[in-house]
Amino acid sequence: MNSIRRKILTFTTIVIVIMSIIWIALTFYNYKTQVKYNDILNRYLILSDVSRSSNQVITDLNNYMNQSTPENLKKLEGSKKALETSRYEVFKVRNEVNDFTLTNYIHLMGSLIETIDRLMGLERDSEAAVKDLAETTRISNYISEMTLTLIDMELKTHEPFYRGIMEQSIELVKLAIWMVLLTSLLLLLATYWFSLSITRPVQQLTKAASELAKGRFDNEITVKSNDEIAFLAKTFDHMRTNINNLIQQIKEKAKLEHELQQNKILLQESHFRSLQSQMNPHFLFNTLNTLSKKAYLEGSEEISDLLVSVADLLRYNLKQIDRSVTLKDELMVVNQYMQIQKARFTDRLQLKLDIDDSCLDIDIPALTLQPIIENAVIHAIEPNINGGVITIRVKDLNEYVAVQIEDDGIGMSEENITQILMERQVKTAGHSTGIGFSNVVKRLRLFYDRDDVIHIESSLGSGTAVLLKIPKQRGEMHD
Amino acid sequence: MKKSMYVLLGLVFVSLCYLIFISANIVFSNDIALPKAKKQTDSRYRLVLITRDMDTTFWNKVGKGASRQALKEGASLEIWGSYSNNSEQFLKKLELAIHSKVDGIIIQGLDTDEFKELTKVKAAFNGIPIITVANDVPMKESLRRTYVGSDQYRAGGLIARQLLKDMGTEGKVVLLSDEQKEHYHNERLKGIYDTLRVYPNIKIHNAETAESKDQVTTTMRDQLNQMPDVNGFIAVNAKMIGPMVQEIGKRSQVEPYFIYTFDDGPESLPLFEEGKIDGVLEQDPETMGEVSVQQLVKWLNGETVPLDINGYFTNIRILKDKRNE
Repeated sequence: MNSIRRKILTFTTIVIVIMSIIWIALTFYNYKTQVKYNDILNRYLILSDVSRSSNQVITDLNNYMNQSTPENLKKLEGSKKALETSRYEVFKVRNEVNDFTLTNYIHLMGSLIETIDRLMGLERDSEAAVKDLAETTRISNYISEMTLTLIDMELKTHEPFYRGIMEQSIELVKLAIWMVLLTSLLLLLATYWFSLSITRPVQQLTKAASELAKGRFDNEITVKSNDEIAFLAKTFDHMRTNINNLIQQIKEKAKLEHELQQNKILLQESHFRSLQSQMNPHFLFNTLNTLSKKAYLEGSEEISDLLVSVADLLRYNLKQIDRSVTLKDELMVVNQYMQIQKARFTDRLQLKLDIDDSCLDIDIPALTLQPIIENAVIHAIEPNINGGVITIRVKDLNEYVAVQIEDDGIGMSEENITQILMERQVKTAGHSTGIGFSNVVKRLRLFYDRDDVIHIESSLGSGTAVLLKIPKQRGEMHD
Repeated sequence: MKKSMYVLLGLVFVSLCYLIFISANIVFSNDIALPKAKKQTDSRYRLVLITRDMDTTFWNKVGKGASRQALKEGASLEIWGSYSNNSEQFLKKLELAIHSKVDGIIIQGLDTDEFKELTKVKAAFNGIPIITVANDVPMKESLRRTYVGSDQYRAGGLIARQLLKDMGTEGKVVLLSDEQKEHYHNERLKGIYDTLRVYPNIKIHNAETAESKDQVTTTMRDQLNQMPDVNGFIAVNAKMIGPMVQEIGKRSQVEPYFIYTFDDGPESLPLFEEGKIDGVLEQDPETMGEVSVQQLVKWLNGETVPLDINGYFTNIRILKDKRNE
């Protein structure tokens, strides 16, 4: 989870390691060169030491020859010892080039020491002593000269080495410059890439956030990275999806509410209308009763009965319009309606009933069959001079009850059937309102909450059959 | 744009790497080999060849032969010396060699007291064997172990015989010799005298002079003035041949004179090439070098003890100018 920190740590470690390697290499190189320098310097120091100590011996020897005091003797012994020490030191300087000269050099020192020893044994101021003293001086001079020769030889043999060191030191400066340039370049590049790997996801995230702020919730947020930013982006994307879902839900709810509102308005309107429409029938109903009594009083009993049927029908109509009734009630109304129609059509109208009595208790919306029968009468009986037959069949088909109303009229066009099933008003010939049938279809569908409740089979010239499939179990919505 | 940036970066990177590689190669290379340090000297013997005439053709050849032989014997040899017959420096080198306790000294003999003192007293005191080469100093005076070089007496005889051959048994001959009277000069003179003595008609005049050029010129002038009818010249000291020929040339043609010398002077061979000298006694300096080292090592090894007191003689022959015949 701490991958950005890890990245920074790794990066810093690498930089430190590179710097350390360079530092160690240079230090090691310096150390090596230093050791070489020291070696060479030491050689020179050894040689010059010999020259100095041999001179010192001669000085002390002369002092002692002039004044043979114990101090001078002690001094002489000391410097002689120093010469012997440096004689052994000289062995370290030996190499292939100066081998011969160096051997001579060592022997020269030996000769000097021998001569001094011999001189010490001689009587002072004797002829031999004077001669030997001169000789020591000469030997000392030889030593000095040979020291110079050896140093010169050293210079010559080491010349390529010195030149090499000089060249190397110049090259070292160059190397340092190139190294600095290269590491700077690499560091710059690495830093650039490194910072990009942190800032690029942040940028992507920022862009995504501003997209969200503008209200675009559809673009997926993808950040290619393996650190915290990627985690952040993933969470952010999750949030975006959730918000998106919530917005969808709110939209759907709003739509539903709108529809509900619409339906409420419709309902109120229709309620108003139905109240309005109840006013006239009551007046008509009373008038019809008056007319029936009048007809009875004047001896026209048939008309009186007819008027009573009409009034009953009307009462049924007014009473039952909002309620469900049983199929039995419906069939009774149909009967009354048919009596009225028979008064008009006499023998031209024949009604056949084929009814399964066990089915008569089934619920059905009021005034369902009457409009269909009316429709059949208008279309099948009225235009035909010979009249026609209307058959009503009621059958139990287990799950539902089939009610079939069949006529043998002129039939209906395909177009009309579709219109009716689509619950639209149909412009028809004659005085029929055309509302009735589609009203029935609509009510049936609402009542049973299913579309296949009504079927119409018809072809022009061979009658029409309307089949109602009324389920025994009603849809739960209307209970 | 971006691509070209990448290419540029790549190029910079590669060139930097290349430069670093080159610099690092130079910086970290250890190819400068110092001479190997030694704990002990390898060679058994340290020998020194000392001359007064460094960088002359003759002595370079001696040195060459000696070095070659030393390499063969596994001894180390150094050539020391002075230039232009500088005796003081020469003796200093000898003393230095003795104090340095070298194992053996091969030296161009110098017939002076200082030289003899050094060889007889100091070298003998330190037990250092000395071999004279090319120029001898008698053993009694120098205590040298042996002599390697030409038999100077015979060399004088050869020159004299050549003179007889060219000039005939009659005539006047001037010998130009060193007033320092070195041993090898005396030998040469003795050889010449002993050969010519038999012929009474040959008159010999020995002109002694110092070695410097002016002195030689003066002496030659005197000789030519005193003996205008001289027939032949022999430069016993080969270093005098230059001024001598020059002086003769000033007076007359060089051709009619019979002029002879030895080859150990710097001008001998060039003048012979020019045809101004009729004959040169050629010695064998390379062999001298070789034999001297060989004998010295033999003595040091104890193979030949004592060495031949009279010396080991190397080849000599006369170079004759064929153009005059």
